[in-house]
Amino acid sequence: MTMTNLVYLIPLFPLIGFLINGIGWRTIPKSVGGLIGSITVLASFVVSLGIFFEVKSTGASSTIVLFDFIQSGKLNIPFAFQVDSLSVTFLLIITGIGFLIHVYSTSYMHEDEGMVKYFAYLNLFIFSMLLLVLGANYLVMFIGWEGVGLCSYLLIGFWFKNRDYTNAAKKAFIMNRIGDLGFLIGMLLILFHFGTLSYQDFFGQLKSGATANPSMYNWIAICLFIGAMGKSAQIPLYTWLPDAMAGPTPVSALIHAATMVTAGIYMIARSSALYNLAPDALTFVAWIGCITALIAATIAIKQYDIKKVLAYSTVSQLGFMFMALGMGAYTTAVFHVMTHAFFKALLFLGSGSVIHAMGGEQDIRKMGGLGKKMKVTQITFLIGCLAIAGIPGFSGFFSKDEILAATFEHNKAIYALGLFGAMMTAFYMFRLYTLTFTGTFRGTHDQEHHLHESPAAMTFPLIILAILSVFGGYIGLPAVISETHTLRNFLSTSVSNIAHEEMAHNTEWMLLGISTAIAVVFSIIGVAVHRKPNFVANTGLSKVFENKWYVDELYDTIIVRPLNALSDMLDRFVEKMGIDGIVNGIGKLVRFGGDRVRLLQTGQVGFYIFVMVIGITILFALSFFWIR
Amino acid sequence: MKAIIAATIIGVIMMFASILSNNKSGIVSLATVLFFFLFGINIWEVYESINATGVAAPAYLNNMMSLDSFAIWFSMLMSGCALLYILLLGKEIAKVGKHVGEYFALIAFIMVGIYLLAGYSNMLMLFIGIEILSIPQYILAGSDKRNLKSTEASLKYFLMGSFSTGILLMGIAMLYGATGSFDIINFRMLQTDALNPLALSGILFLIIGLGFKVSAAPMHMWTPDVYDGSPTPFTAFMSTIVKAGVFVAFLRLFHASFGNLTNHWMMIVAVITATTLFIGNITAVFQQSVKRMLAYSSIAQAGFMLFAILSVNATAWQGIVIYAVAYSVATIGMFAVLIKLKDYTYDGFNGLAKKEPALAFFTTIFLMSLAGIPLTGGFMAKYFVLLAAVQQGQVMWLVIFALIMAAVSVYYYFKVIIAMYFKTGEAELNHEVTGYDKLMLGITCLLVILIGLMPQLLLNL
Repeated sequence: MTMTNLVYLIPLFPLIGFLINGIGWRTIPKSVGGLIGSITVLASFVVSLGIFFEVKSTGASSTIVLFDFIQSGKLNIPFAFQVDSLSVTFLLIITGIGFLIHVYSTSYMHEDEGMVKYFAYLNLFIFSMLLLVLGANYLVMFIGWEGVGLCSYLLIGFWFKNRDYTNAAKKAFIMNRIGDLGFLIGMLLILFHFGTLSYQDFFGQLKSGATANPSMYNWIAICLFIGAMGKSAQIPLYTWLPDAMAGPTPVSALIHAATMVTAGIYMIARSSALYNLAPDALTFVAWIGCITALIAATIAIKQYDIKKVLAYSTVSQLGFMFMALGMGAYTTAVFHVMTHAFFKALLFLGSGSVIHAMGGEQDIRKMGGLGKKMKVTQITFLIGCLAIAGIPGFSGFFSKDEILAATFEHNKAIYALGLFGAMMTAFYMFRLYTLTFTGTFRGTHDQEHHLHESPAAMTFPLIILAILSVFGGYIGLPAVISETHTLRNFLSTSVSNIAHEEMAHNTEWMLLGISTAIAVVFSIIGVAVHRKPNFVANTGLSKVFENKWYVDELYDTIIVRPLNALSDMLDRFVEKMGIDGIVNGIGKLVRFGGDRVRLLQTGQVGFYIFVMVIGITILFALSFFWIR
Repeated sequence: MKAIIAATIIGVIMMFASILSNNKSGIVSLATVLFFFLFGINIWEVYESINATGVAAPAYLNNMMSLDSFAIWFSMLMSGCALLYILLLGKEIAKVGKHVGEYFALIAFIMVGIYLLAGYSNMLMLFIGIEILSIPQYILAGSDKRNLKSTEASLKYFLMGSFSTGILLMGIAMLYGATGSFDIINFRMLQTDALNPLALSGILFLIIGLGFKVSAAPMHMWTPDVYDGSPTPFTAFMSTIVKAGVFVAFLRLFHASFGNLTNHWMMIVAVITATTLFIGNITAVFQQSVKRMLAYSSIAQAGFMLFAILSVNATAWQGIVIYAVAYSVATIGMFAVLIKLKDYTYDGFNGLAKKEPALAFFTTIFLMSLAGIPLTGGFMAKYFVLLAAVQQGQVMWLVIFALIMAAVSVYYYFKVIIAMYFKTGEAELNHEVTGYDKLMLGITCLLVILIGLMPQLLLNL
């Protein structure tokens, strides 16, 4: 009996937690609900850890069939799980960080009415996310994909009494649906051309040089990438993610930073065999990632809402990951997913701690000097900033440098732009840090009085994540420092990077130097510029940044409003006059007919027999003259 | 055969009981016990027939009866339905009039008719079965003697029934003329391509005669008046178990004897089916009284059962069994609810859900089954008969038409649900709903759902 055979337990635990909390959310006490939610995820984490060590020692990848899911003619889609290095890596991220965030939530959500319901949703999310990464075919992945979308919707709109929040939830759901359509078309194309959705068969056929038209690879790859655009918030489908910050902060940390939004990265890394055959699609992915990284970074510079800054920074970092994918450096993208999960979860939880202390205030213009009252939050937040800015020694440095190195090798233009993005990252993160934690307090007197460090259930995850943010990078050291890249070696059994030449050592040292210089310099500038904040109305380009390039307005004008007008017209003419007319017409006809036929029922036996005889005569006539 | 004899004896016992005792509830209890006993005998027969596999079906009465395993199985199911009927409505039957024992005697005799119709192999037996089954119904229809409507129903039923019996007899005579035999097996020798006009007329007359009994249009005119006028407990019986019995006779004759002649009669049955579906459903829409709506709905449901007649294949046999049971159980349940209400119109149901939530819930299940919503027996029943027609393959247009008509039927069935749950009002009950009533209705509900989940249970032939 190997651990791998127990893989079904991993999604089962959160599912059980969801069922218990979901069914009994009105009656279960808050503390018990939180406990159930956290314990189930911890159990999954333990099992994941066991499987991780097994996969690490054997390097095996196995498919575990639970039951036949769809069987129709030649089509056979089993409900199966894929256990290999890639899925195990994601399992650890999801359950590990998921557990920490559950623990954090027990304290953060303690005063909320629907806390148990919240934990039910959170467990359902973990369950769906685990399905997503465990599925051994695209269909199971898609089920998880839709499941996480649903949970995201439910949790963004968790405080559904606020109209804006529900609108944000709807926006997220609809944008994701647009992407999902792409994913679905990609899946159907695969099914149509290869007759299978299972990774093993599909990649096997690809490797053996299947017969499909090469341009078809690009189309399938682009369709799948459209799905990734929606889920991982890339241009043009990124605008939902900043709005998604309407949800509770732990949700932002878990779903909208650490796990769900990286589903797109996972999907492309999983489909590396396909993308390696689709160079045009890869170029497209790289450019989309690059542009997203830049635009989101520019917006982040001018935001005043602490969570919005982090949200745009997430979009920007996701852009970096897609850049790496576009270079065919899939393991690098996964590496950044991992480090990003650590420090971005840390930053979000830190911001949650701040918001908690500020009594719900999210505007950094009203903060300042919080470090004096909240030492743990300040220090851990600083570690997060150092990590994301790419200061040497911290985890973000290694993963971001690896991305930049990959781009340097394949596409110098993207490298230059990426560097520019990294520069802005350092700048806006230290702007955020400085405005929040240093200087003097700019809020009201009441708020200042209320400031306090968060309880242990909240600081504990912060500390753990801070440690991971520092040391998480050491599993992927650059070649100049270490001979072996632990993570890449581990992943090589399930993900095939596009082969690349070893870089000359001095080139690599040079790149490391440039990254370090940029990160350090712009971090310092970020601190220096904002030491004495002076909030004046933005003008010119800054105003464009502050207003997020007016993308929401643009979408509103070119898509939402024409669509509404069209719906309105369809409603008024096609629906009310056409379809309603037909349906109601049939109804009226039936009623009218019923009313007439009813009159035949006169109650006279003589008449009844008369009708019967007429009927008999007609039947005879039909039978003798027509049917023959 | 044991069941036929037992049912006859039960009829006689009930008649004597009626003479000897005036204790109504005692007689109801006696009848319940006896019907339990009858059901037991049926099960015994089924058990015997299962053990006797490989042996030719035993023939009785000079080879005029052939009690094959299907006949025995179907008889058992019908006895079960009759038992359920008595358990649910026994007390109500006692309230119809003075001669309680005789009502049960008549019901027992009708059961004899049904058993004969399930296993006949000779036209004489068919005719006797039909008559044994019809004549007690004429009496039951008029059993509420002081009520003019009941008497009228009885007379109408009798007059029209006699007329149709004449037609049936004429059909039998013509077939005898064409073949020189009453045995349904011998009809198979009829020539397929050059069918004797005498035989064809005979078949048509049989369609009409049997169509009358199952209230197929245009021979359906009696149905609403009779079902509406008869005392409600008897309407429940006549429109369900009795009709199912005649359908099996219909099916047996046309599949066993005329199965090779489908090109001569199938279109006619198809036309009748279409007319029946149309008239039944369309007219039901416009009714104000739920009881009368159920009368039309029984015409509409007969339209669906006719699909089993015109698709000559094994699925049709399965379909008729499931349909007969699912429809009977749901309709009996529905009548058992209806009878509790003072006002039989739709308005009489207003607000029932608030007053008697359990009753309203059961009613909803019954109505959903009648409308053919999945997870209820009614869905499986419709599925099987339509599947039979699809397999048969020649009447796809009719299947589509039937589906449209099933959609129409949702309208009038759900009007009751809307009245119960969404309209305000004080649904008035005749008397309190007892725990026993709820228990029995609950069991009926479970049966409806069980059939919907596992229709194979009914096909254990």
